[in-house]
Amino acid sequence: MSSNRELTMSSYVGLGVGLMLIVGLEVILTYQHLATRTLLFSLLCLASLEGFVAIMYLMHVKYERRILFWTVFPATLFVLIFLCYFFPDAFRMASMRLLK
Amino acid sequence: MNQSELMIALSELAVATEHEIQMEESPYGIDKKKLGMWIFIVSDACTFGAFLFAYGYMRIGAPVWGTPFGFSSIMNGMVMTAVLLSSSLTMLAAVRAAQSGTKALAEKWLAVTMILGAVFAALHLREWFKLFGEGWRLFYNPTGGAQQFGATFFSVTGLHLTHVVSGIIALAFITRGYNQGHYDESHVETAGLYWHFVDLVWMFVFPLMYLMNAR
Repeated sequence: MSSNRELTMSSYVGLGVGLMLIVGLEVILTYQHLATRTLLFSLLCLASLEGFVAIMYLMHVKYERRILFWTVFPATLFVLIFLCYFFPDAFRMASMRLLK
Repeated sequence: MNQSELMIALSELAVATEHEIQMEESPYGIDKKKLGMWIFIVSDACTFGAFLFAYGYMRIGAPVWGTPFGFSSIMNGMVMTAVLLSSSLTMLAAVRAAQSGTKALAEKWLAVTMILGAVFAALHLREWFKLFGEGWRLFYNPTGGAQQFGATFFSVTGLHLTHVVSGIIALAFITRGYNQGHYDESHVETAGLYWHFVDLVWMFVFPLMYLMNAR
């Protein structure tokens, strides 16, 4: 992070090709008839990798000050993880209705 | 010190403080437009996150789920991904051209980005109408499985499509303003940040909404 040596346009095109290759890998995995949970986990991991590359390079976070990264991303990840963690509570709440 | 002298001293202090505030550099080293866009992106990421978590729980929880996407739809999705990814690269080229002061080139790349965005939206709508033709609706599953497929698919992809269309409109305004000299390269850069975020969201929407529902 905080590096001033930005990639050249040809490097960005290479990055785009790399991202498309990951998408291709996702499609190949889809047709391997994996269990739903395994497929979901694999696709999420690959999508997260793509997302990380996009944030760091396309959205230029790699070239910004570190404080931007440390202010924005841990807090966002915290919220997203807790959204996921507490989401099943919606089902518990449904069974706790006072009026049935 | 009488009252008038006190007032003068206070006004001088106010001017000095205002000057200091104006001169103070952002701790993030970015301008306020870009910081505002980052805050918007964080809130929007949480919105998409909530939608996708809801979908994920329903997808895993339902014993029978709709899998309407054949190989042709998956290929269509890959083309959509390639188009959106290419538009991110053309947006980068536009930002670089704007930063280097080559206005005409920046406008050209912005136009290419908008065209690619429109192509993406058209491909997206084509997929939607194909699903409508097969009988899928917001709350109806023609195969008899979980009815939540339509609700989750059309909500998430509809929200993303709204972002793409909003992005095209925003880029059109930015291009016009940049051409007329009302906006500068920082506006182009901020719009680019939004456009890359739309691309980033699609990197999650495509595998989760399309690939997870492939036949």
